[in-house]
Amino acid sequence: MACFERVSPALREILTRIHRAERPLEVDHHVHEFGSVHYHVKHSVTDPVYTYLSVSTPLLSSQGLPISSHLPQHTLEMVNGIFPGVMEALVPPNEGYQLTLKLDISRIPRDGKASTKMISDIASVQSALVSTQLKEILRNVESREVGYGIYKPIKLMYHPREPFFVVKQPAKTTAIFPMRFKEKEDVIIATAFFQELMDVGSSEAFRKAPHCIWSPIPPAELRGEPIEDLSTNGGFLSFDITLRHVQGKKLEKTVWSLLNVYTFVKWHVKSSRGFVQRRMRMRLDKLVQPLHDVGNEEGDDHRETRKKTKKVDGGCTNVRKWMRVSKKKILGRNLELGNKMKRIRSRIKIHCFSRLRRKWLRMPKFSPVTRYMKLE
Amino acid sequence: MASSLRLYLTCIRNTLEAALCLQNFPCQEVERHNKPEVELKTSPELLLNPVLICRNEAEKCLIETSINSLRISLKVKQSDELENILTKKFLRFLSMRAEAFQVLRRKPVQGYDISFLITNYHCEDMQKQKLIEFIVQFMEDIDKEISELKLSVNTRGRLVATEFLKQFI
Repeated sequence: MACFERVSPALREILTRIHRAERPLEVDHHVHEFGSVHYHVKHSVTDPVYTYLSVSTPLLSSQGLPISSHLPQHTLEMVNGIFPGVMEALVPPNEGYQLTLKLDISRIPRDGKASTKMISDIASVQSALVSTQLKEILRNVESREVGYGIYKPIKLMYHPREPFFVVKQPAKTTAIFPMRFKEKEDVIIATAFFQELMDVGSSEAFRKAPHCIWSPIPPAELRGEPIEDLSTNGGFLSFDITLRHVQGKKLEKTVWSLLNVYTFVKWHVKSSRGFVQRRMRMRLDKLVQPLHDVGNEEGDDHRETRKKTKKVDGGCTNVRKWMRVSKKKILGRNLELGNKMKRIRSRIKIHCFSRLRRKWLRMPKFSPVTRYMKLE
Repeated sequence: MASSLRLYLTCIRNTLEAALCLQNFPCQEVERHNKPEVELKTSPELLLNPVLICRNEAEKCLIETSINSLRISLKVKQSDELENILTKKFLRFLSMRAEAFQVLRRKPVQGYDISFLITNYHCEDMQKQKLIEFIVQFMEDIDKEISELKLSVNTRGRLVATEFLKQFI
């Protein structure tokens, strides 16, 4: 159980705030990280000189049992030796924590860079604890061999689902990681990654890096281990750590990298899945585009056809022109037309002509020729 | 493009050109209903013989035709497990967004990875030639995309592996 950053960002922020405050602050924070790391920071106005930092972290256990519930003496000495005078480990620690530190933050210089570095180092105390435990095991491997038999693998675990094995051999120490994933998709992405890891590891540029082997079946070193430890879906990833990788400052790096193997692989799988998803989203638009273009072209064609048809029907133009005339004009035209029609239909009237017609132009009465006479 | 792929796509294109002669045809079973006959298969006289075009065992295309609809089912090549999951993931992603494609079927025909359903209405709305172009282009793009995705995942893996091993040096 580890993460890429050694420094806890939340803890660094809290300590920086306490350090930069002009007046003493009342701080009582509980911070939980990665589900199992727990910090408690306490700074009181009544005791403004000291800040108390308690840390609880899952201790490395061997063969399923914790090595010890308290930190060993040399770990406490190591912690005290980080910043003597500024940081001191209290014995016994507060209840429920593995380590309680008494910090004299007033001794941290006010200078920007130096103070930031010191606070970062204090905030990375958990990673120092975790690394120390693994370092201790790697140093004491030879003494354990006597008890368990030669080349006997040591099972270590920070997390119940993520155990790993360390096998001490004459010229090297092998760290073996059984890889387990929840989904098949993850297994395939991780397998591709392991193959790349082997390829890169065997290249000339990385000949100084630990030899890396991935195998889908348990390696020979794990022969005789319980079946539940050997049943995996992602195979076994092994790193051969030689003397070159644990000399001087490299030991710190190697231990941290080994602690981060699971996190690294899981992070890669997760980010690869995200990458595939993003890419598919981008691709969707491009795939749909031709079909949309077809629809648009079809629409354009329809519009053009309509335009052409309108141009061919020239007769409609006059009607449209007529329609464009204002309402007032249309009413005027209608009135004029009505009057014309009335004039055409009405009789021609001449003043006093009707009297004259009655007097002089009397029509004689004609008996119809077609009249039948009754025969007697 | 590989010559075998070109031949495969040309064959599909020619078959589609011949098969895409769809017309409006009301359902013979239910009055005032109009259904794709290739899906219902209620009247055998309205169905044509299905055509199966195979490039190899892993890559094939089934074209089923009826009087008013046509169904194209594709099986995309999956040479290894990574290609297999990428293909499945991608085609499932597209099937879930079938409404964007109009002619894409939400569920592929059994034994195939993706299916299209083209009805006479699609042919009326969109040009037949353009529809055929789209199908062929889609097949080309899917192949290309899967290959690119696989390459990208491997490249990412290589970069991450390099970064991881750098920590030990």
